[in-house]
Amino acid sequence: MENNISVIKVRNLLLVTMPPDPDDPTVSALQAKVLDAMERHQAAGVLLDISQVETLDSFFARTVSETAQMVTLMGGRTIIAGMRPAVAITATQIGLTLGNIETALTVDRALDMTTQGPKSIRQR
Amino acid sequence: MEKSLVIAPAVLQIFPKLNRSTYDSLDFATLSSMKKPSPSTSAKSVSTEKDGVTSIDMLRVLVDSIKDYAIITLDPAGRVLSWNPAAERLKVWKAEEIIGQHFSRFYPKEDIEKGKTDMELKAAERDGRFEDEGWRVRKDGTRFWANVIITPLRDPTGKLLGFGKVTRDMTEQRQLSERIKKQTQEILEMATVPVVPVWEGILLVPLIGTLDSQRTQHLMERLLQRITETNSPVAVLDITGVPTIDTQTAQHIIETISSVRLLGAEVILTGVRPIIAQTLVHLGIDLSNVVTRSSLASGLRTALSLMDLAVTPKAVATNSDTQWKTTSQS
Repeated sequence: MENNISVIKVRNLLLVTMPPDPDDPTVSALQAKVLDAMERHQAAGVLLDISQVETLDSFFARTVSETAQMVTLMGGRTIIAGMRPAVAITATQIGLTLGNIETALTVDRALDMTTQGPKSIRQR
Repeated sequence: MEKSLVIAPAVLQIFPKLNRSTYDSLDFATLSSMKKPSPSTSAKSVSTEKDGVTSIDMLRVLVDSIKDYAIITLDPAGRVLSWNPAAERLKVWKAEEIIGQHFSRFYPKEDIEKGKTDMELKAAERDGRFEDEGWRVRKDGTRFWANVIITPLRDPTGKLLGFGKVTRDMTEQRQLSERIKKQTQEILEMATVPVVPVWEGILLVPLIGTLDSQRTQHLMERLLQRITETNSPVAVLDITGVPTIDTQTAQHIIETISSVRLLGAEVILTGVRPIIAQTLVHLGIDLSNVVTRSSLASGLRTALSLMDLAVTPKAVATNSDTQWKTTSQS
């Protein structure tokens, strides 16, 4: 199952794609794989593509949130891309948050964000 | 042959010279005897031949002329005894093809398997009448939506002679009422939660009227759906038309905004009027995480700046236009 996560280095970024229904071992493997690749490639950030993911549980949410913090500590930036509407609604309803991680509608838009730098109207 | 039918004399006057038609399959005398007319009604009824026209002829003409109702009779076992032209038109079967056959020929397979035909006859016999609306089948296998009334026909002693079955094609009415239902639903949905793209990448949700839980739930689903469909990174939620906001509504709005952020889009809450601002603060609702603006106009400006766009006066735009032209020529 752990092999279902694909971590691809694109320029100075890591493009991480999650399988449709990640189980706990897969989620656990995510952290190790991402951090390992961060060190190996000296990447500037992580794009986590979850557009295929149909279910999001608290363990996944926490792992993603923690991994993002770790990536930040390693000097990188994490953007989550492509969450499905149904997943977002469920996540909000059961009170799951992804902390302050940046989100993007698609991987394409996430790539735009990495070239433009962080942007938030909340800071304006 | 005894003829004691109750027919309005006026009808006879309209058709004074009718010849007796030949309907051998149906014994109208027997049918008529079931009426059991009381002395007062039999006085008014036409019971004898008048100018060579009988009331039975009239009834036959009536049954033959009626276009909207398939009027047929069945024997006690449910086999077809008589058939009228309207029945032929509706069900396609010709009289000679169908007479003698069981009336389950008009029913869909699943109804026959459920024993619906027997149930209908039993119900009619027991209650004196059976009415039903449902799918029926034509000779060619196509279906139509029918209103069916089955009436038991009895002789004066109460012995069951058979059944009268009147069928009307209601397909059009059904389609019409379903279309109306669908349209009403669509209008209702549009009115409750309109999600309008106002610019490439900017969706506007003008909310009018009180927001209840069901509506905000609907709003959340529709907005998220539209955001992904149109790939819009900004949504402007305008609450100018919302009269009051309570804790629950505010909570729903905050939830909607959180969900939208998980998708990777941003929400700007506009139309926060003084009274709404007061209420929100007094209720202790924290919207510090949410971008709020008092007017839709300033909200749109914020949305545009989020997209790195700006609205400039036309003169400036023309200048840059000419500049572009000169540079492209050089």
